[in-house]
Amino acid sequence: MTDLPPFLVALPLVASVVVLFAGLVRSETGWPIAAMAGLGQLGLAGYVAYQVFTAGPTSYVVGGYEAFYGIELVIDGLSASVVVLIAAVSLGVLAFARTAGPRGNPFYATYLLLVGGLTGVVITGDVFNMYVFIEISGLTAYALVASGDTGRSAVAALKYLIVGTVGASLYLLGVGYAYIGTGTLNMADLSAALPTVADGLGYQSTLVQTAFAFIAIGLFIKTAVFPLHTWQPEAYAGSPDSVSGFISALVSTTFAYALIRISLTVFTPDFFAAVDAAQTLLIVGAVVSIVAGSALAVSQSEIKRMLAYSSVSQFGLVLAGLAVLNQTALIGATVHLVGHAIMKGGLFLAAGLIATATGAREVHEYEGLSERMPYAAGAFAVLAFAMVGVPPAVGFVGKWYIAVGAVQAQLWPLAAVILLSTLLTLAYFARLVERMYFREPAATGDLAEGEGTADTRPDAVVADGGRPSVGMYVVVVVAAVLAVALGAAVVPFAEYLQPTIDLLLP
Amino acid sequence: MTEITPSLRPLAAVLVPAIAIVPILLSGRRPNLRESWTVLAALGAFGIVASMVPGVLSGSVYATQLGAFLPGVQFTLRADALGILFGLLASLLWVITSFYSMGYMRGLDEHDQTRYFAAFAASVASAIGVAFAGNLFVIFVFYELLTVATYPLVAHDETEEARAAGRKYLTYTFGGGVAVFAGAVLVFWLTAGGTAAGTTAFTPGGIAALATADPMIARVAFALLAGGFGVKAALMPLHSWLPDAMVAPTPVSGLLHAVAVVKSGVFGIARVVLDIYGPGLVGELGMGTILAAVAAFTLVVASIIALRQDNLKRRLAFSTVSQLSYIVLGLAVGAAAAPGRASAYALVGGLLHIPAHAFMKLTLFFCAGALHVETHTDDISNMAGIGHRMPVTMGAFAVAAAGMAGIPLVAGFVSKYFLLIGTVSAGNVIFAAALLISGVLNIAYFWPVVYTAFFEKPTESDPKPLVEGPLGGRFAGTDPGTAEGLVTDGGRDDRHTDGGDPSDDEADTDHGFAESHEGQGIEDKIDAAEQLHHEHGPDERLDWEHRRWIGEESTWLMLGPICFAALGSVVLGIVPDTAVFLEIVRLIVENVTGVVV
Amino acid sequence: MIDALAAGPVDLLATRSYYAGTFLLLGIGAYVMIASPNLVKKVIGMNIFQTGIFLFFIASAYVDGAQNPIVGPKATGPFVSPLPHVLILTAIVVGVSLTAVALGLIVRIYNEYGTLEADVLQEVRSDD
Repeated sequence: MTDLPPFLVALPLVASVVVLFAGLVRSETGWPIAAMAGLGQLGLAGYVAYQVFTAGPTSYVVGGYEAFYGIELVIDGLSASVVVLIAAVSLGVLAFARTAGPRGNPFYATYLLLVGGLTGVVITGDVFNMYVFIEISGLTAYALVASGDTGRSAVAALKYLIVGTVGASLYLLGVGYAYIGTGTLNMADLSAALPTVADGLGYQSTLVQTAFAFIAIGLFIKTAVFPLHTWQPEAYAGSPDSVSGFISALVSTTFAYALIRISLTVFTPDFFAAVDAAQTLLIVGAVVSIVAGSALAVSQSEIKRMLAYSSVSQFGLVLAGLAVLNQTALIGATVHLVGHAIMKGGLFLAAGLIATATGAREVHEYEGLSERMPYAAGAFAVLAFAMVGVPPAVGFVGKWYIAVGAVQAQLWPLAAVILLSTLLTLAYFARLVERMYFREPAATGDLAEGEGTADTRPDAVVADGGRPSVGMYVVVVVAAVLAVALGAAVVPFAEYLQPTIDLLLP
Repeated sequence: MTEITPSLRPLAAVLVPAIAIVPILLSGRRPNLRESWTVLAALGAFGIVASMVPGVLSGSVYATQLGAFLPGVQFTLRADALGILFGLLASLLWVITSFYSMGYMRGLDEHDQTRYFAAFAASVASAIGVAFAGNLFVIFVFYELLTVATYPLVAHDETEEARAAGRKYLTYTFGGGVAVFAGAVLVFWLTAGGTAAGTTAFTPGGIAALATADPMIARVAFALLAGGFGVKAALMPLHSWLPDAMVAPTPVSGLLHAVAVVKSGVFGIARVVLDIYGPGLVGELGMGTILAAVAAFTLVVASIIALRQDNLKRRLAFSTVSQLSYIVLGLAVGAAAAPGRASAYALVGGLLHIPAHAFMKLTLFFCAGALHVETHTDDISNMAGIGHRMPVTMGAFAVAAAGMAGIPLVAGFVSKYFLLIGTVSAGNVIFAAALLISGVLNIAYFWPVVYTAFFEKPTESDPKPLVEGPLGGRFAGTDPGTAEGLVTDGGRDDRHTDGGDPSDDEADTDHGFAESHEGQGIEDKIDAAEQLHHEHGPDERLDWEHRRWIGEESTWLMLGPICFAALGSVVLGIVPDTAVFLEIVRLIVENVTGVVV
Repeated sequence: MIDALAAGPVDLLATRSYYAGTFLLLGIGAYVMIASPNLVKKVIGMNIFQTGIFLFFIASAYVDGAQNPIVGPKATGPFVSPLPHVLILTAIVVGVSLTAVALGLIVRIYNEYGTLEADVLQEVRSDD
């Protein structure tokens, strides 16, 4: 047991307040403080993860109130991985946002608050506490989406807010059911108490099943599983580039984590064994998301919307990894959760970089891009192929675990869809790669006009950045390199993860 | 018998061309330096592969272990006999193709040559990776990388047709990749047999655990694997990307779409048949006969389609489709037949056809490319008398074409001989008949090319069979030399004849050809006509300029590789036992079946 | 709790009136959010939706004939469960901040587009 877990949440929260007040004194103080906090967070997360992976799961009772009344923070291998991911990605995006904007201390304060909220969701061991953190992350995410200065951002943020609140409220309703049945909110206590509720009827009782249904649907909305994804494309496309990179990489990821956590820790595999409908719900959500998300992605003409629908499809894959309910697939879901965050974050940032430099935001504007921006186009292509699942990139490895898991569980239709998802993903990325490398840019007159409209278009979210900086290039290229290199790191990672997986899915 | 020697050489063979990409990209501004990197890497890779040949022939296997890639799946590169066969072939032919590429790309003053040479090196690295892959997953990794690396080459022209061909190529081959992936997952799961982890490592004679697995799922897995590799092997009906991919520059068509890429598919099938399932199990599962039937169908039908192609590269492409199926047929018949000499003969024939076809088809493509560079002629109907202009080229073409048809003294004869012996002694009359019919068809589609090049004049050429009329010759009923309106290549009559912008009339064709690049029909005729000169003789007929047989016709950068490849086909045909390939093939078959051929 | 299920539907409604109220509020809230084109009304709908859930929690804490959970020398149980009250207090705070952010956004949308109607907004934006 260690005293560090609460600092994972406290550090960004305190830093956020510091940034806000520092802004009252001097306006240019936001970035350095946020960067320091981000570095500290990464160090802290890395250290905690190291401890967890070497010494096993750790927990911390907040304020000395023992669990049942008090709030417990629990960190196992799965949450440690996601905590490190959040710290690392937020630092990377911060580096990108320095020139890409938006700037200003309120932005950095909100940003740090979101980091704290997401970290809280991941490390809490209490379902109501999780709700509070979900709402903190939600509120800050809405505010960040709206930081784009345009009407489009505001409309996107409002839609996100309303739909997101419904999702969180449904989650709360589900928690209410579970609480009424068991009288506890602690995850470990809940999982022990749920089998005995309603005079021993346990998992078969309507109460438990309703609780699961509300929680699952609520988190489906937050994760943007088809057809509950409606907030997501506009929120990603309407927010400033740094924000869409950050949100796409982390927010859905965190809520997908929450779904895995609630499903396996609170409801446990025994629940799914007893209630077929629960597993069916997950499988159907996964299959529909994969197929429909890809199909919608193909039909988009705006890059960021296309990437957003791609996320719908990829989270279908993560959900599939959970729905299979065996160890191999769960490792796959975790790997893909982390891998997708890096790839999709990188793609959004690359798109932002390209838009900053050339004003290109539409698929057709990417024609001949490789001539104008070889490094950005190269990184984009590498990330795209990694996402398609070309080995040995991390996108392939995650998919491989999930597919093997599905075959082991003999869920043939699901396995088929997982394998086909490669082709579906290819369908929307190949046309971009083709445009970047094998088309001449539009005639110069058109291009100039295109740039003009891109900047003056009222709906376009133009960051106040201007010329791309070296830092932006570095972040994007590092993401591309990581997307390939992490593929090799999966086997040791899976070994570290194994004890946690054994606990979750005995 | 076989001992595994840990060695870094298989890895080095893959890494040398892979690393060469970096200096190639960096020296893009200085073509001579850039090309010397290519040649250096090609020679280096070939040297490394060749240095392993004696060891492999004496029974050792070189392996590089790179640790676990996935749980239960080692990232292993190993050079065994089968791997060395393909690796040697790819690296040797890369050397000569490198020289040819220089002549071709500079002769045409192509754009984006740096990207071209870099992608070429990446493709070869992946192909050698396919050759030395130690298990199904490593082969899948390189198979996918090969797809990615070849895509820029297919779409090189950046015309609408080239992009369409690139899209088709990606779709087909990634589809195949998915099937391979699915099959590999199934094999992995089947061989696990309830225990912790399965295996997909290549074992001569097959993985033992598969024999006891659920036969139905084993069949599905085999179908997925064979189908997945069959895409690149251009088995019908999965072949249609290959003729379209001919839009790529000719060296690409030559090395990749006659040797490296398509053979990686065939090679994959060989690995699956020989080293995953083992010929015996494939036969037991009843999959050998099915595969053989698909192959026999492909080789006959593709030959017939080839007859109707007027564009030389398209005709060669369908010929490739057909010839690849010889290899698959050999493997399949070898698997379907009862273990013994018949099976072994068929296997030897199929495997030997890998190098034999490679040499011959490379010659043919190099010839087609040389014709394109020197005379801008791509359609066979415009090649009447071209033998005067390009004597060495067309001479080499004639030799290789004879080999394709299985005429003795050229490489194709030896492999087809083994194939035929194998099929006949296995008692498969139908497959034997298919082989013979296809042999006749081979002559039928290659002879007119040779004939028109050497024995006709531009002003008095006969229409060719099936291309311009069902029977050709004087039965065709058209005035010789005025056959413009009758070009049957799919309604191309409506094209503008001003050689204008190719991008605005993309819709009228599905061949995947950019008109300005590889002209067809009328445009090609115009290009060809510009090359014709009035003879100095009394009648002042139009004719090709006469060039002598000493290399005046083109640069030695192209003629050298052509002669080398043609010579290779002849050496393989006359003294197959001294050329190392037959020895390797015998070793492979002996390892798998235990029969000494 | 299970016994109540055995009774008739009318009894069920009578004993579980808070339950019916909860879902009535949820329904009304959801309906307003979806059906009303006015952005402010959508936010009101969202508030109603949340209120339904608050009611659900608070009602679950109710114990027949119990006292306020203020522990002192005179207090002798049973007490109403205090935990849901605390939880909902938090949730209300969250709800208030959500409403504040939502209204802030609506002000911005109004400044930008000059309308609060979702359908008009869509037209204005597609014209851009």
